This record gives sequence, C-alpha cells and structure tokens, in this order.
Amino acid sequence: MDLIFINFILLPLIAAVVTAFLNNKSKLANGICVAVFGYHLLYILHNILVAKTAFYTGMNMLSGIMLIAIALVALTVAVFSYFAESTNRKGIYYALMLILVAGMNGIVSTGDFFSIYIFLEVVAVASFALIAFYNNPLSTEGAIKYFYLSAFASILIILSVSLLFVFTGDTSFTALQNAMTSNATNPTALNIILGLMVVGFMVKTGLVPFHTWTPDAYQGASTSVSAILAGIVTKVAGAYMLIRIAISLGIINDGIKTNSVGFAIMVFGLITILVGAIAAMKQNNFKRMLAFSSVSQMGYIALAAGLATPLALAGAVFHLFNHATFKTPLFFNARALEQQAGSCDIDKLKGLGTKMPYTAWSSIVAMLSTAGLPPLSGFWSKVLIIAALWEAGFHTFAIVALFASLLTLAYFINFQRTVFFGKVSPELKNVKEVGFKYLLPVFVFVILIVGIGLAFTTCFETFIEPFIRFLT
Amino acid sequence: MYYFPSLLYPILLPILGSLFIAYNKKLSIRPSVVAVIIAALVFVSNIYFISFTNHGISPEIFLPMSLGFNFFMQADLMSVFMALTSSFLSLIILIYCLGYIKKDEYETEFYSMAILFLGAMMGLVYSMNLMWLFIFWEITAIASWRLVGYFRADADTLKANKTFLITMGGALFLLLGIIIILLNFQTLDLNKLQGQAIPTLAVVFIIIGAFSKSAIFPFSTWLPDAGVAPSPVTAMLHAAVLVKIGVFAFAKIFHYIPLDVDMSTLVLYMTGISSLIAGGAALIETNIKRIIAYSTISQIGFIFLGFATYTQIGFVGGMLFILMHGISKAGLFLAAGTIEHTAHTKDISKMGNLFKAIPITGVAFGLCALSVMGIPPFGGFFSKMMVIKSAAGFGNPVIFTIFLLGALLTILYLTRLFYLVFFGSPTKSYKETEKGTSNWMVYSVLTLGVLSLISGLLVKFPLKFLINVF
Repeated sequence: MDLIFINFILLPLIAAVVTAFLNNKSKLANGICVAVFGYHLLYILHNILVAKTAFYTGMNMLSGIMLIAIALVALTVAVFSYFAESTNRKGIYYALMLILVAGMNGIVSTGDFFSIYIFLEVVAVASFALIAFYNNPLSTEGAIKYFYLSAFASILIILSVSLLFVFTGDTSFTALQNAMTSNATNPTALNIILGLMVVGFMVKTGLVPFHTWTPDAYQGASTSVSAILAGIVTKVAGAYMLIRIAISLGIINDGIKTNSVGFAIMVFGLITILVGAIAAMKQNNFKRMLAFSSVSQMGYIALAAGLATPLALAGAVFHLFNHATFKTPLFFNARALEQQAGSCDIDKLKGLGTKMPYTAWSSIVAMLSTAGLPPLSGFWSKVLIIAALWEAGFHTFAIVALFASLLTLAYFINFQRTVFFGKVSPELKNVKEVGFKYLLPVFVFVILIVGIGLAFTTCFETFIEPFIRFLT
Repeated sequence: MYYFPSLLYPILLPILGSLFIAYNKKLSIRPSVVAVIIAALVFVSNIYFISFTNHGISPEIFLPMSLGFNFFMQADLMSVFMALTSSFLSLIILIYCLGYIKKDEYETEFYSMAILFLGAMMGLVYSMNLMWLFIFWEITAIASWRLVGYFRADADTLKANKTFLITMGGALFLLLGIIIILLNFQTLDLNKLQGQAIPTLAVVFIIIGAFSKSAIFPFSTWLPDAGVAPSPVTAMLHAAVLVKIGVFAFAKIFHYIPLDVDMSTLVLYMTGISSLIAGGAALIETNIKRIIAYSTISQIGFIFLGFATYTQIGFVGGMLFILMHGISKAGLFLAAGTIEHTAHTKDISKMGNLFKAIPITGVAFGLCALSVMGIPPFGGFFSKMMVIKSAAGFGNPVIFTIFLLGALLTILYLTRLFYLVFFGSPTKSYKETEKGTSNWMVYSVLTLGVLSLISGLLVKFPLKFLINVF
C-alpha cells in the first residue's frame, strides 16, 4: 500500500505542482505528464505480468485492472492533448489532469468509504476545472450542471458514510461486509443507508434518471477532456464504486436470495440501457451521441453489478475496461472530424469514408465493439453479463439486455451510413485525413480492442480469474 | 487428437489477405488479382484435405481455452464438401468481378471485404465449437454489410443496414441458445454435446438464428432488399455462400444433437410455407434480381427439408442441393448482372428480345434455370429428387404436397422470367452485344451454366463422396 500511495497518488500530485508553473514550457509539462502516466502503466503491468507480485490477488487485482485502465486512458489523452489542445495555459491543463489521475488512483486503491469520499471530491473539482477550461458558454454550462448534480451526490454519499459509521463504528469495506453478513446490526437500516449511497454513485455514473449532466458536460468540454471523462473518470467515480458496493453487500442474487439494493441497481441499469440507446438515436451531434452511448453502456455495468454473481462481476469489470478502450478513441475521432471537416454534426458530414479512411475504419471497429460484435473485446464482456443474468434466472433481463445491443448497432451504423458511407458532399471535397500524431493514440486502442477480443481467454485467465476466485 | 496446423491456411490466408489488400495501395498490385489468387489458394488447400478425409482421417486443431471456448476446428467430410463448394463458387464469382467491378475508390474495400468473407466462411465451416462458429458467423455479417452497401446512394446504404440488423437480430437468438447450452453442459464442443438432451428453448433459439441467416419466412425480408448490391455480391452472398450458412449450421449442429420429431415437423412446416410464399412472390415480382432472390428463399426451403427429415437420402440430398443450387443460382445472379449491364434496367417488363444481344449469357442462363427447376439430367434434378424422396420417407403427406407445389412454382416463375427477358417483346433491340461486356463476365457465367449440366451427368462423384459421411 505504501508503494502504491507513493507511486500513484503522491507522484502525480508532486508532478502537478511542478507542471502548474510550466505554462510557457508546454513541451516539458507534457513530457512530465506522459512520463508519470507511462511509468504508472509500466509499473503496474510489470508487477502483474512479469514480477507476478503476490499482492495482486483478489480485490487488489480489481484495483490493478482499474489502475491499468486509468494509466492507459490518461497516457493516450496526454499525448493527444499535446497536439489537439491549443491554449497558453498548458501547464495548468496538465496539472489538472495529473490531479484528476491522482484522485482516481486514490479511489481505486483505498479500502475505506471515507477516503473514497475525499478522493471523489478531488476528482470532481479537477473535472469542473477541466470542463470549464476554455471559458466558453457551452463548457461553463456543462461544468455548472455537473457541479450541481455532483454536489447533490456528494451530500448523499457523505451522509450515508457518516450513518454507516454510526451503525458499524467503522467506514471500511470490510466493516460493511461484516455487518451485512453477520446481521449484527439492523439490515433494513443498512439497506436504506446503502440505498442513499448508491443513488449518490448513480449520479456520478450518469445512470438514468441522473444522466442529464453527461451530454452537456461531454459536449461542452474540449474533446480530449471529454475523452478522459467518458473513458474513465465517470467510470471510476461511479460504476467502479457500484461494483465495489455490490461486492461488499456479500449477496449473490440468484432469484431466490435477493438484496433489495442490488435488485434496484439492476432495474435502474436496465432502464438506463434502453433510455440511453434510444436517446442516442435521436442525437445530431456526434459527441452527444457518444455521451448517450456511454450512459447506455454504464447500464450494462450497473445491471451486472447489481446481480453480483462472480460471473456478473467479472463481466462488469471487464466491460468497464473495454468501455475505456472503445469510447476513448471514438472521442479522439470526434476531434479529428471536428478539425478536418469543421464540425461533428451528423447532418453536415457526408461520405468521409474515402477521405479519412483511418478515422473511419478505427471508428467502425470501436463502434462494432461497443455494439458487441465478435471477435472484438466488447462482445466478450457482454456475453459474460448476459450469461450471468441467464444463469441467475433473470431471463427477461437477459433478453432485454441482449437485444438492446441491436439498438446500439442501429444508431452507430446509421451514423456511419451518412458520415462515412454516403456520397461526398461538394463542400467536403477537399477534406484530408488527420496526421499520424492524431491517429497514433487511436491505433493503440484499435489494437487493444482486436487483440483483447482475439486473446480473450488469456486476458480472462490473467486478470479476471484471480479476482473471481477470491469471490467464490 | 491430431494437431494439424495446415487447417489454418484456408482461414488465416484470406483474413490476413484482406488486411493486405486494404493496405497495399503503394505496391501497385490490382486488389482484384490478389483476391483471385487468394481464393484460388483457399480452394486448392481445401482440395488437399480430401486426401485425408478419403482415408477416414479428419484433420483437427484443438487449442483448449477457458470457459469452454476451445478453438476447435475439424475437417470432416461434410465440412470439406461445404468448404470446397463455397470456395469454388467464390473463386468463379471473383473472376467475374474482374470485368464487373470498375476501378474506382471503393474497389479496395470491396475486395478486402469479399476475401474477409471467404476466410470467415471457411472458419465457420470447420468450427466444431459453437462459440467459434458464432464468431465467424458474425464476421460474415460484418463483411456482407459492407458488400451490400457497395453503392453509396441513400437507398443502398439503408438496405445494407437493414440486412445487418436483421441478421444480427437472428444471430443474437443463436447466441442466447449457445449461452444456454454452455450454462447447462459447460462445454460447447459439438462432439462432446453429442447425444445430450439439449433444452428445447436453446434448440428453438438456434433454429431462429439459422432461419434468419438463411432467409426463411418471416425473417426473409432482407434478402430481396439486399439485391441493391452489385450482382457478383448478390451471387456470392445471397445465392451461393451466405444464405447457406444458416442451413449448414443447422445441419451440422443438429447432426450431432438430433431434433425430436415434433420439432423437425415444425421446421418442415415453416420452411415449406416459406418456400411457397417466396415462390408466389417470385411469380408476380418484376424486378429481375428480386425474382431470383425470392427463388433463393424458396429453394433454401428444400435444403432444410433434406436435413430435417433425418434420413440418409435427405441428408445426402441436402448437401448435394447446396452444391447444385450454389452453382446454378450463382450463374443466374451473374447472368442477371450482365443482363442489367445490357438492358440498363432491372424491370423485366421493360426487357425482351435480349437473346439476340447476349446469346452466350442467354444459353448459360437457360442451363442454370433448368437446373434450378430440377429438370433431368441437370444437377438440380438429382438433389431435388432426393430431398422430395426424403419427404415421402418422413411420412407426412401435407409436407410432401407443400414441397411438390413449391417445385411446381419454381418451374413456373423461372419459365416466365426466362421467356420475358430473352424472347418477350421481339421488337426491342439493344446496342450493346457481348463484345462490349468483358470476357471475364461472359465466360464465368458460361462456366457455371455448363457446370450445372455436367454436375448432373457426373453426379456419381459428389454422391460417392457424401455417402461416406454415414
């Protein structure tokens, strides 16, 4: 834990202090940022894959997977921002990003609700500042909406954490888990406390009906910021915590023995899948469509987290990681479209498939993975979730969740139909592909999507199985 | 367990080849030539497997993987026959494309996707594990989505999306069926599932999946619509190869896990009715490609008939039907492409007297049509006779009558089509002759026409091969 604290929380915070003074030396600031995130990624991968440190078993493995996802997304966003963001406050920008990452690392590596609350606030403050970074009306609106809803969520979370303390005398995960299994305290009261907390995290995840801030925030923020927000921040601050709470409930919903909090998360998850997908169909702005798509995918994670069987949790964690790999490059591509064709409004773009082939095909791969087509990575996590639902006897849930991926496919291929495969409109005749520097981070993710999809069982054995074995 | 790496050649070669085609712009090799070479290599490597299967050896690859998703490929007799049929037809169709697909900006994508499709098809055919079968099944769907949407007008891309969504919807049923089997038996290897009592729900889901891919009513509406694709694509996807995926998977899966009598009766009624409805639609439709598409739907019913009766003659007849129908239906679609090039319309009521303009194509079209109708001694006669005989053996007079009527309808609508296109309205004349169209197109159609006849005369060779399956 000490090493984790120094490497993943203290180091980025110190780096943030340094880069904050480097507004005039954006290259150096970027270099520091990339070096820190790159070091994180190498450190964690080395420990799990090469050194096979005994530390990474059970719950720590879950933290390990999350740390990989955070480092990966942060690293690519940092590289991408270097070319894509033009501001004279680059130092501050990178400092905020480092603080954001320190906060997320804190959330995933602590085992205590009160510490999580602190890190959540760190993440939230850094996010407001990043969303509103360019001070234009749209981004300020997004930031304020996020601020209000997030404040509401924080109140609920701190309230339930303090009530938890009153009941169990402790705020750690293990205390909650013991209280839930031993029935020493009043389970109904505990369920109400947990319910409050879950609502708080649902707001942070952006589950329906608390999703309204996500499209505005993602559309208003600059695209690199949206990429890190949609790719990882809301997942760590919300979905990951739902998974963590579900594990602490110590229940396995198998149709006979259900926990009302778990079941409520499932119902909200299912509604979110459908509402998100249907709303995504009606969007004209690519970034808003991605935002709703994100909402919809979070529904799958919530659905699986609420179910809380080992298989479902495996699916939820895997989907969380996959979501980072397919949503982040889509935001990068949105930026590419914005820059080369001047807009991300769907009705203004037509037939760019031959003009920007790499952008087009990398988007297609990421979108098909979102819709759950084999052999891409998104397919496997959905299969795990559906299989877990069916196994637990929630047949209707399984069928609705499965066929909702048709909706996902429908809005994505409808988008591609005009934007990439239509006839080129005259005003877009001279559009050119973005440079390699924009494409490189996207390619990293495309390789991951295809690679994880093909080597699914290896990934499953290395990362997911040690974590499931702990649960059973 | 035999470890037999060369079984990967027909699968990996096209899949990697499709990537090569997509990125080879700098090498100045025509993508069409690369595609034809790859298809030829795939065909040859499939022939190579016959030397093993003829000695009763089934080459295998088995890589154990967790959760029951073993990578398990096996070249048994049935799969080799199917692989030979589909790779051979794909090769002929790609040769036709040399003349048909213009050198334009979508050319690379077309060949890349066509070859990817071929590779996925080979993977599907050899898969012995249901999950891998499903993976390849979906790759064929992705490839065919791009192939159907080759032309970029709004109507074309819309119909490509429709095709994709309907087949994907069916595939999700199949996936659910596979998941149920996995949860019940902890394995997806077909040889281990042999003789197990599969839950009825899983069976129903798998059948729905097969129906949607093979365009059985009520999942058939995408097939006529997909006719917006270029003719070689329709020939490859919607006549020769793609639509056979569903029926082949049906045959393979339920060869290992036999259906009970009630279920197969239900399947037979559904496919029989589908056959009749499609035959009726073909009789009144005026768009040439839609007529041939409806004809495909009606003929697929006969293939299901062969497999679902669970008689030896039905099984052999069904496999033979896949070959014969593939040859002659691909010929019809390719000929329709040439006809469209000459007449500049798809509406048969505006055509007529085309025989004078394109006599060779006309002869080939006639030969293929006779084979599809089931006139002796053409290839289609033997397969149709065998499946109808199996219907008689099944002992249900209603089903027998339905399919007999279906066969009659086939003769009616194809005669109408042939007459209207080639001999109707004798006053019409066309500027273009076959000299105007590419030789690649004319001779590949003629090859298929002649093969429709020869395959009937030499029917004992495929029959001898197929009887060994039992």
